[in-house]
Amino acid sequence: MTVLLQSLISGILIGGVYALIGIGLTIIFGVMRVINFAHGDILMLGMYLTYNLFTKLGIDPYVSVLICIPVMFIYGGLLQKIFINRMLGALPQNQILLTIGLGLIMSNTMMLIYTSDYKILTTSYSSSSVNVAGISVSEPLAISFLITAAITTALYWFLMKTDTGQAIRATAQDREAAQLMGINVKWMSILAFGMGSALAATAGALISPTYYIFPQVGSTFTLKAFVITVLGGMGSIVGATLGGIIIGVAESVGAVYISSGWKDVIVFVLFILVLLFKPAGLMGKSRM
Amino acid sequence: MRTLLKKLSDNRGISPVTICLWIVVLAGLAVFPKFVDSPYALHIMILLFLSTIMGESWNILGGYTGQYSVGHAAYFGVGAYTTMMLMQYKQIPPWYGMWVGAAVVVVVALVIGSICFRLRGPYFVLASIAVAEILRLVAMNLKDFTNGAEGILATEIPPFKIGETVVTDFLSKVPFYYIGLVFAVVTIIVTVLVQHSKLGYYFQAIREDQDAAHSLGINLAFHKNVALLFSAVLTSMAGSFYAIYIGFIDPPTVLALDISVQIVLICIIGGIGTIYGPVVGSLVLVPLSEALRSNLIAQGIFKLGLASEESAVGIFLKEHLAHAHALIYGILVVVVILFMPDGVLGFVKKLFTARKRENA
Repeated sequence: MTVLLQSLISGILIGGVYALIGIGLTIIFGVMRVINFAHGDILMLGMYLTYNLFTKLGIDPYVSVLICIPVMFIYGGLLQKIFINRMLGALPQNQILLTIGLGLIMSNTMMLIYTSDYKILTTSYSSSSVNVAGISVSEPLAISFLITAAITTALYWFLMKTDTGQAIRATAQDREAAQLMGINVKWMSILAFGMGSALAATAGALISPTYYIFPQVGSTFTLKAFVITVLGGMGSIVGATLGGIIIGVAESVGAVYISSGWKDVIVFVLFILVLLFKPAGLMGKSRM
Repeated sequence: MRTLLKKLSDNRGISPVTICLWIVVLAGLAVFPKFVDSPYALHIMILLFLSTIMGESWNILGGYTGQYSVGHAAYFGVGAYTTMMLMQYKQIPPWYGMWVGAAVVVVVALVIGSICFRLRGPYFVLASIAVAEILRLVAMNLKDFTNGAEGILATEIPPFKIGETVVTDFLSKVPFYYIGLVFAVVTIIVTVLVQHSKLGYYFQAIREDQDAAHSLGINLAFHKNVALLFSAVLTSMAGSFYAIYIGFIDPPTVLALDISVQIVLICIIGGIGTIYGPVVGSLVLVPLSEALRSNLIAQGIFKLGLASEESAVGIFLKEHLAHAHALIYGILVVVVILFMPDGVLGFVKKLFTARKRENA
């Protein structure tokens, strides 16, 4: 029973970070209908940024989130402005290939600079845990979950209450109508891609104390991000949060009760089942 | 002969000039190993054939039917694994094993098709990736069956005999060259036949507008699955050929997402939905990545005097440029998608028509 509870809790905690990755992807998809295959690679850039801030300047990974967010926001906005805005009317397949190409450039540039060695960011608390009512909770996971919760709440408030947030949601609902209402949709797209990138990079910063850092780490997270967003319903932020937590729990419970090698298989099987039987996802609209 | 040529060109829309060009090129390729015996040159040619086979087979599903599968590693890998496992564990020679591989791939493709073809556009792409990833993870985890991450090493290929005469013993690269050439020609012929058949018109109708095609009475699921079967079986042949030629397979080299992406890139760079697109794509990608891998480009830079071999930049280039071929792939894709959405072939065609218009 304790084992089950333990794996449930660590699943929810890691699920919080997954939710962040998924929300980033879902915002980009919602506003532009572009599936960003470079999402995991942007996360990887966040990890390397955090790693460098830690080893060169001694900045704590959780503090470096404050640097990651603006830097990667600008980076994502530039990507959108230079590359993706040109492709908004193109075939969805070509958009996918464009982002795949951008991802390849990112991961291989990092490989040229840092080689494909695995890097580890060891902090004083990397492997420490706190004991709550007989259940030990990994400290870095707990901290990152709290940060995730704060960011998600702030984001939700921004999208729901501010004018810019409402303009972004309007663009997601109907691009043309939004444009007719005087919303600068190109600017909204830049904002959305910037936000998505900042969220992915934040997730990267948050997991860097507990994860290996290497240039090819992105593709795993890109795939995971797809699973999360499809599970929750493409374009739905609440859905992505829920999807992230479900995937986190499925992984950690699967790793304990089946085996850690098969846990990814469970995730993908779950993904295909959702695509087949509830294609709109948990919170999304139909896509058939 | 003349009537045959005429008949071919009438029915298939191929001009006699094209057919003659084909015969010349094929004759050239057929005698190539007689004049060139450098194993490296043969190796490049074999890679070109392999890449052409992969590209053409994807093209049937992705280019003509418009179903962008980014999971073709599944068929490549299953073909490679079946042939290799039959040869290593059951001593079944690969020229029988590859047909078993193709049969297994038919079953796999039907299962994958029944799952993925319910979805459209980006969701189809995602599902195709997910299915291929499941197969990779299964191959990774079923250690007793596939030897997991350690992969399978071919110890010895049995000599190919007809009766008692040994046709080839696979000791040099020449037999692989001819097998690759024949496969490549066969895939191109299959593509040509498909393109100009009723089936091919159905495929292209589905690509242009699924709903319109459906309303005209084209059975979408059936025809997508037929296109997938053509594509998957040919891809599995490429996989079997790769496994036997390289002599070693493991999940990252035959089942990974990289392979699927690479297959798509061959077509994107050459030109999607054209017969020669994958050939052009292979002609661009294979020499480029080989030149990077063998450090030819770094040496070229030193020879041209752009950087000295001892300088910091030179050392960096020498050490790292060999690993950069995927970076070049990425840059190529971005450039091609942004500036030549119809691939190199389409771009060249556009240049020509633009010039014609200027002259007229």
